[in-house]
Amino acid sequence: MRLRICFSALLWMTLAGISGCRKHPETSKSDHLLAAYDAEADWTDAQRVIPLNYEQAQGKRIFYQQCVWCHADATPAGPSNRSNLTPVPTVLNDGATLNTENDEFLRDIITLGGSAVGKSAMMPPYGRMLSAEEIRSVIAFTRAIAQPPYQPPARAGSQ
Amino acid sequence: MPAEQMGKLTDRMRLIFAVSSVVFLAVLAISPFKDFRREWKQYKRSYVRFAQGRADTKRLLADYRPNIDQIWLPGMNVVDRCTTCHQGITQASLGGKGVPQPFRAHPAIPHNVRNWGCTVCHRGQGPATEVAEAHESTLAWEQPALPTHFIQASCGTCHQDNLPQTPQLTRGRKLLETLNCQGCHRLPGIERPAMLGPDLTNVGTKVSREWIYKWLKEPRTILDKDGNVTVNGYETEDEPRMPKFRLTETELRALSAYLSLQRAAPVATYKIDPRVVATWSKNPDLISQGELRFRQMFCSTCHSLAVVRAGETKLIGGDIGPELTKVGSKVKTDWLIAWLRDPQGYLSHTRMPRYGWSDEDLYKVTQYITTKLTDSDLLTTVPNLGQPTDEETQLGRRLFLEKGCASCHVVEGLNPQKDFGPDLSALGGKNASELEFGAAKIPHNLVSYIQAKLQDPATVNPAARMPQYNWNQADLDAITTALLSLKGAPATSALQNLVVPRKEVSFHPAGQFAEVYERYKCYACHKFNGYGGDLAPDLTYEGSRAQRQWLVDFLKNPQTLRPTLILRMPQFNMSDKDAAALADYMTMVLQHPEVNPAQGDAKQFTLAMVTLGKQLYEVKYQCQSCHTIGGSGGYVGPNLSNAGGWLTPAWIEAWLSNPQALVPDTIQPRRNFTYDEIKALTAYLMTLRESIKPQKSASGARSQAGVTGAGR
Repeated sequence: MRLRICFSALLWMTLAGISGCRKHPETSKSDHLLAAYDAEADWTDAQRVIPLNYEQAQGKRIFYQQCVWCHADATPAGPSNRSNLTPVPTVLNDGATLNTENDEFLRDIITLGGSAVGKSAMMPPYGRMLSAEEIRSVIAFTRAIAQPPYQPPARAGSQ
Repeated sequence: MPAEQMGKLTDRMRLIFAVSSVVFLAVLAISPFKDFRREWKQYKRSYVRFAQGRADTKRLLADYRPNIDQIWLPGMNVVDRCTTCHQGITQASLGGKGVPQPFRAHPAIPHNVRNWGCTVCHRGQGPATEVAEAHESTLAWEQPALPTHFIQASCGTCHQDNLPQTPQLTRGRKLLETLNCQGCHRLPGIERPAMLGPDLTNVGTKVSREWIYKWLKEPRTILDKDGNVTVNGYETEDEPRMPKFRLTETELRALSAYLSLQRAAPVATYKIDPRVVATWSKNPDLISQGELRFRQMFCSTCHSLAVVRAGETKLIGGDIGPELTKVGSKVKTDWLIAWLRDPQGYLSHTRMPRYGWSDEDLYKVTQYITTKLTDSDLLTTVPNLGQPTDEETQLGRRLFLEKGCASCHVVEGLNPQKDFGPDLSALGGKNASELEFGAAKIPHNLVSYIQAKLQDPATVNPAARMPQYNWNQADLDAITTALLSLKGAPATSALQNLVVPRKEVSFHPAGQFAEVYERYKCYACHKFNGYGGDLAPDLTYEGSRAQRQWLVDFLKNPQTLRPTLILRMPQFNMSDKDAAALADYMTMVLQHPEVNPAQGDAKQFTLAMVTLGKQLYEVKYQCQSCHTIGGSGGYVGPNLSNAGGWLTPAWIEAWLSNPQALVPDTIQPRRNFTYDEIKALTAYLMTLRESIKPQKSASGARSQAGVTGAGR
């Protein structure tokens, strides 16, 4: 009898010790937008909200300062300059066109202007105005809002 | 005890010892096992496995240690062990969504994690080594990690000046200021202006008791069922300044009675010349002419009106002044005439400029406002209120103080209570246990509390005196961010030294310019040395940019330089003397130190330079994508048709070589022009001339007549 009590006491001690190990609080269902730095409504579907990380959010800010005037159909001031230009500038979320271009090409056309990469000289160079980091963030924003969505190429070394 | 029994017992004892030793060993083993299985050690090991699966293993594991990693910054009260699990935080190659947390790199921000730690911005419990303890609110630590969506609040704790990278915080701070939160609350960094809402000393001369009743019951800006904010039934982006107070019928009657009797110092009524009235009152074009003048004077730059465009009714116009769609049913005609002639006479701090009105214009515009901008249904829901009784007036006076009206509005002879609402200067650092959640069914944390309180103060405190505001989600999040940034005085002196204070900006002009500047309220839209509104161009260096004659002509007859703008400079009907005073001051004082307009000499430009410049403009740089010359070109930059009559050559040269050096936030890209190209472009632009004198159209002729008629 005493033996049993001894055993069971030891067993309970063991169990109590182990149970302390695995005590995880329930993970609260967090809103994916709460974990995002900023968000942008999909240009083709206002109901869908695209969460943006820090870099993409900085790109959004620069886009709405510098680029929106020609690369969107509506601007903060109302009408857009886009329809006024030939060749017509690409709308920034036009994935069908922009997804086929790699990041280096987009970097070059923003930094050096259209004439440097064989496109229209109407696209001015921003290399002396925006930092390399800012230009990277604009590209990140472009990728984030692309419709159809942008699929990054498989990176060497990541698998 | 017999010997064999002893032996038996010994066997039994042996068994007990054997078993208990095994169990004891097992129990002993639990401790190292538990230690081995600790959360942070598991993350350490899985990071090694993760790094080994990647091509840049060597670099990722270069400073790997199997121990707890800690950032210790004694001066800042930082003991952060976050990097124990978040091991890839400084590895540039681990950026992006593809990398699983907790190994993902931190985005590139101006602060280095080794010098700042993590909890300074992200909150949470730095020394903790378990996921839940580090990130969540526990019994011993009530500062959970801040959701990333509100992280800009942390920038604002030190950076009291606005940063370009934190638009949400900047918007929130602006809302705190424009919604007059400082009327009742203490908010550090937001100064309490002398007057927050309109002065009600004379409100009885402006509106009727019925209108006051209606306004208090349903402030015209409301949130509809679909979550849209509407003004007078029209959708708007703006937040209402006058919130909704929860008032009973008796309270509504009492307050409307009290306010309708406020006529302490009525403004003298102005009688429009009877000859003007006689000529115009029978004219069938009176109202349409009034509307035309209303448009020509660009009242819509500050005031919005409901306009039907493509079948949709939209509010078009600015938000500096109130929306005016139904104003004709609100104000009394005598008041309107007196107000338009001299707004400061009624309200000394108003931003409404004093226009130079001719009697004819004044008559036409007031007739237009009182006949067209009306709504016969506006007051139909208001019961018959009759004459105010003494009892109602007494109660109204008391309620005016008790409800907090006096915190924002002045009525002569009333002294408002100081600090009517709670001090919010340390709200952003509060623990959940310090907050009253009442019966509200919301998560018990600071963010939910702030949002619930802002959306409907009664949910967390049924007796709240705070009125009801309407928010769209973006503004609610912005103002939450701004409130979360208020963490009170920094805890340590090292943190105090990090605070970047707000830049104090001021502009104190003198002499005749100051008088004219104050009369036309130039600062409501333009910035001078950082002080003023941001609707219109910054005029700090206007004297270096524009030619004096152009300034005079523009002030007399403003025409927009930017074709896409809906909001344009109003026509002030300025006298020659006023225009000259403004232009003289600008050309003499508002100068950029590096740009001397006297330097440029038009004679230095040769025909060859002009030809080259034109070619550069049109072919090499294609400036026409943004600028218009004549009838063709883009709408982004200013119209250059009259560049030669507008800009100084010195400014054009300085501008082309580095636009951001003159106007830091201009969107003109800085290009790689050579010195000769700049000279050539300047030469070409200086040849472009076009008269900006009023066109010889009917309306233009009439506006000229208006100016001469105004003769001050």
